[in-house]
Amino acid sequence: MKSIAVLAVATAVLAACSGGGARSADGRTVVTVSLDPGLEQGAVDAFNARVARFESANPAIDLVPREYEWDATTFTTQLAGGTLPDVFTVPFTDGRGLIEREQIADISGEVAGLPYAGKFNEEVAKAGSADDGRMWAVPIAAHGQALHYNRTLFTQAGLDPDEPPTSWEGIRSAARQISEKTGQAGFAMMTSGNTGGWIATTLAYAFGGRTEKLEGDTAKSTADSAGMVKALQAVKAMRWDDNSMGANFLYEWGTINQDFAAGRIGMYVSGGGNYGSLKAQNAMKPEDYGVTALPLTGGPDAGVLGGGTLAAVSAGASDPVRAAAVEWIDFYYLEKLTNEDAAVADAKTTADSGQAVGSPELPVFDKAAFDERMTWIAQYVNVPVEQMTPYTDRMFDQPLVPEPTRSTQQVYALLDPVVQAVLTDRGADVGALLSGVQVQAQALLDRR
Amino acid sequence: MTAPPSLDAAQPVAAAVQPAVPVRRRPRRSPVTWVRGGGLGPVVFLLPMLVVFGLFSWAPIVQTVVMSVQETNLVTDPTFVGLDNFRAVLADPLLWTAVRNTLWFAVLALLLGYPVPLVAAVLMSEVRRFKGLYSTLAYLPVVIPPVVAVLLWKFFYDASPGGVFNTLLGAVGLGPVPWLQDASTAMVSLVVEATWAAAGGTIIIYLAALTGVPPEQYEAAEIDGASVWGKVWHVTLPRLRGVLLITFILQVVGTAQVFLEPFLFTGGGPANSTTTILLLIYDYAFANSLGGDYGSATALSLLLAVVLGILSAVYFRLTRSWSAS
Amino acid sequence: MTDRGVLSSFDWGRRRVRGTARAVHAVLLALLFLAGLGPVLWLAKSAITPTQDTLRDPLALWPTGFDFANLATAWTRVRIDEYFLNTVWIAAGAWLVQLVVATTAGFALSVLRPRYRGVVSGVVLATLFVPSVVLLVPLYLTVVDLSMINTFWAVWLPAGANAFNVLLVRRFFDNLPREVFEAARVDGAGPFRLFWSIVLPLSRPILGVVSVFAVIAAWKDFLWPMLVLPDPAVQPLSVRLPALQRFIELDVFLAALAISTVIPVALFLAFQRLFLNGGALSGAVKG
Repeated sequence: MKSIAVLAVATAVLAACSGGGARSADGRTVVTVSLDPGLEQGAVDAFNARVARFESANPAIDLVPREYEWDATTFTTQLAGGTLPDVFTVPFTDGRGLIEREQIADISGEVAGLPYAGKFNEEVAKAGSADDGRMWAVPIAAHGQALHYNRTLFTQAGLDPDEPPTSWEGIRSAARQISEKTGQAGFAMMTSGNTGGWIATTLAYAFGGRTEKLEGDTAKSTADSAGMVKALQAVKAMRWDDNSMGANFLYEWGTINQDFAAGRIGMYVSGGGNYGSLKAQNAMKPEDYGVTALPLTGGPDAGVLGGGTLAAVSAGASDPVRAAAVEWIDFYYLEKLTNEDAAVADAKTTADSGQAVGSPELPVFDKAAFDERMTWIAQYVNVPVEQMTPYTDRMFDQPLVPEPTRSTQQVYALLDPVVQAVLTDRGADVGALLSGVQVQAQALLDRR
Repeated sequence: MTAPPSLDAAQPVAAAVQPAVPVRRRPRRSPVTWVRGGGLGPVVFLLPMLVVFGLFSWAPIVQTVVMSVQETNLVTDPTFVGLDNFRAVLADPLLWTAVRNTLWFAVLALLLGYPVPLVAAVLMSEVRRFKGLYSTLAYLPVVIPPVVAVLLWKFFYDASPGGVFNTLLGAVGLGPVPWLQDASTAMVSLVVEATWAAAGGTIIIYLAALTGVPPEQYEAAEIDGASVWGKVWHVTLPRLRGVLLITFILQVVGTAQVFLEPFLFTGGGPANSTTTILLLIYDYAFANSLGGDYGSATALSLLLAVVLGILSAVYFRLTRSWSAS
Repeated sequence: MTDRGVLSSFDWGRRRVRGTARAVHAVLLALLFLAGLGPVLWLAKSAITPTQDTLRDPLALWPTGFDFANLATAWTRVRIDEYFLNTVWIAAGAWLVQLVVATTAGFALSVLRPRYRGVVSGVVLATLFVPSVVLLVPLYLTVVDLSMINTFWAVWLPAGANAFNVLLVRRFFDNLPREVFEAARVDGAGPFRLFWSIVLPLSRPILGVVSVFAVIAAWKDFLWPMLVLPDPAVQPLSVRLPALQRFIELDVFLAALAISTVIPVALFLAFQRLFLNGGALSGAVKG
């Protein structure tokens, strides 16, 4: 008996120490909100300005910014530990899984009350909705994959930075030229923390492949599709025939961005709107930056892998916190897409703090709303727009294919070692490695 | 070098368990007399330990066993699944990769980490001037926070020809070596760093043991006409047998739980060539963004525990017989 | 004890042996300088070198001058001071908890000697055979259940569950002269006075040993604080540095690493004896 009492006391003491009630001392509702880690001071100032504005408009809410960035390898501890901020973001790939397991709060009631609730792009809305169509997580950004390149390295290598490659052969020869002339990696690729699978899938799509096929309720893994094989063989040729991929084959999102911004990488594939984080987290020099559309090859099925970000509310949030959290999602993430004043205010603060306004992105709502917003913020755009035209001129014409929907991150994780093997083992048998992945991926898909 | 502080802890444990005074059998005591007789004191003093061990050691040990036969995702109620988790773990092709990698790490760590400190310690024990300088330098890497050391070495291991180590090798016409970027060299690179980081500690242990070699034994060997090597071989090393055995087992137990190096250097790559058992346990439990497979993680933990438990028991017996000798 | 090793004074007198020994020692010293001091000096150099110089020619000495701003940036923007303070707090708390648990338990088992002490020691000792990795998942879930995530308690309290400390302290107490306790009891000292005024002052040596182990272990720990302290505001350096690597420029990052190294190295140089003796000890007893 005694030990139980001791336990109870210990627990009570510890709970008291850990703090974190939903109310602050003055009775305001406390909501923790996500702030990207490692931001330049300007970006932090811009964020704080938005927070202050929100708090003065909503005096009953006390916002507490917390550093947070979705990362496949740490998200689950945060989820299990209940330590996520009240408002956090996840990629499209995880939305359905979190909703099915009810690991995020059901905010569909609050979301339905937002003025633009019914106007989301249909494909985009699906990522954050349950099977019955109710929206548990709000899409706040959508992007297609693109090819980022370093204009300075292009120039140094004798390439025309205004004429980036438009085919995979072009990418290959440009990569070779960059690595020969500058000594830096011509083309680099992410391989770790599920990003290897993400980029491999992107390339497979571009080569006309898919990694899963849905038939009614069952999913078939096609991780070894012809498109994937061709894509990885193209990578293999760059690595082993041309030796144009540098010397680091263990990149993940953060480290590849860093090396790209530091001028150590000629080209790499990542989300089209990446410039914002390159600027805010890695101090990318604007004059170095270029981006172009991903070349599509391999017939009518070839497409650009599209993804995006959802804002969600932590499952443990109380009713008032949930309501306040949705208010913040509306204010911080969405109002700037739908309301002229908010759009202008956001663009102005962001631009004033020296951060990027106008990075390429895809519409979360319809194209008309997107175009309208672009006219609102036109005067604050401070990104090198000209240098982005190779991408922005074509991004709406490319067929966009959503990421796989079942066990997405787990299949990505299975593909990571394959990509690493292709890049580090001259004798890697692409076909055999991929059929191994296909078998394991099918087992994952069947387990559901 | 001063003699190693003698520690009573190393004495046989059994002595403590034998009651010093035969316990007087008393008839049944009521709680009141128990309290009056000072029964409460020990309980109060034991309390911190009981709470801390109860919550953070005993309960989790029991929970490991329970969870290994359950399917738990922290969302729905756990269900009993018998030995399914063990079957799933044993059927995972990655397990055998991880076992192989861990054994490979252990072998490499022994090949590098065992002789280097021993040779260094034997040589250092002969130093007459600036002895302190030698041990300070040797111990310095041990003081550098391990995470800092790994991150620093990660930069040293830059595989391009302009990387730190490759520049050094290039100066003598070697390389470039791919270091972490190739399945065949990645594990060796990890072990080299781990050895660098740990060798100082082992050297100090050996040095302490070496001061325990009685000079008479050397003198006796000299009278028998032993050469310098003969003395090392026949006097020094046999005296170190006990401590060598112990560092050996400590090293095996330690390498079986290696995590920091593969996690920070390579994340288990390239192509799973540095995925160790603990990294696999971590991945089962914590790396899947949609919730961990705690069943498989605990099942694998238990399997590892059995192996390590046997090793620890052997170690414990050895320390006892060693300190008794 | 006479101060001699394998080589006798006679050996030292022989020219060939002496020459070889000197040469070997010189080589050894050079290698130790290279391996022990080399990385530290390189880090110190790179901390005040601009990124591009470090990347282009990592071994050159300031080809285009110094960049002392790195250190300031690391200190202010990266807030190394905060993480350093967290590290100190974590180590201090873990040290205190381990000391309290080990001394009270050791006192109860060794001095007060309740009849059930055999059982209690048995269960404590048994945990010595359970490797810490086994506890990782359930321990994490326990900490989650107790809502200790993101609090230092999540590191402090589990650190206390260290059977080795209890064993060490109890063995030391067992060897304290019991007559002193009896005399104190006759003078009317209760268990608390006995503990505080008699036993603790007599146990300085063992408390020092436990302290060194506790602080070093807390300082080095990575996996556990990474799991239970996901909020950067409470993370120690060991957890924060790998995360920082992704969005700090290289020169500032190296400056941050250098700052994180300076303090333990300075502590080591100041208290060398303690470290080296403690290190030697850990080989003799640590399991």
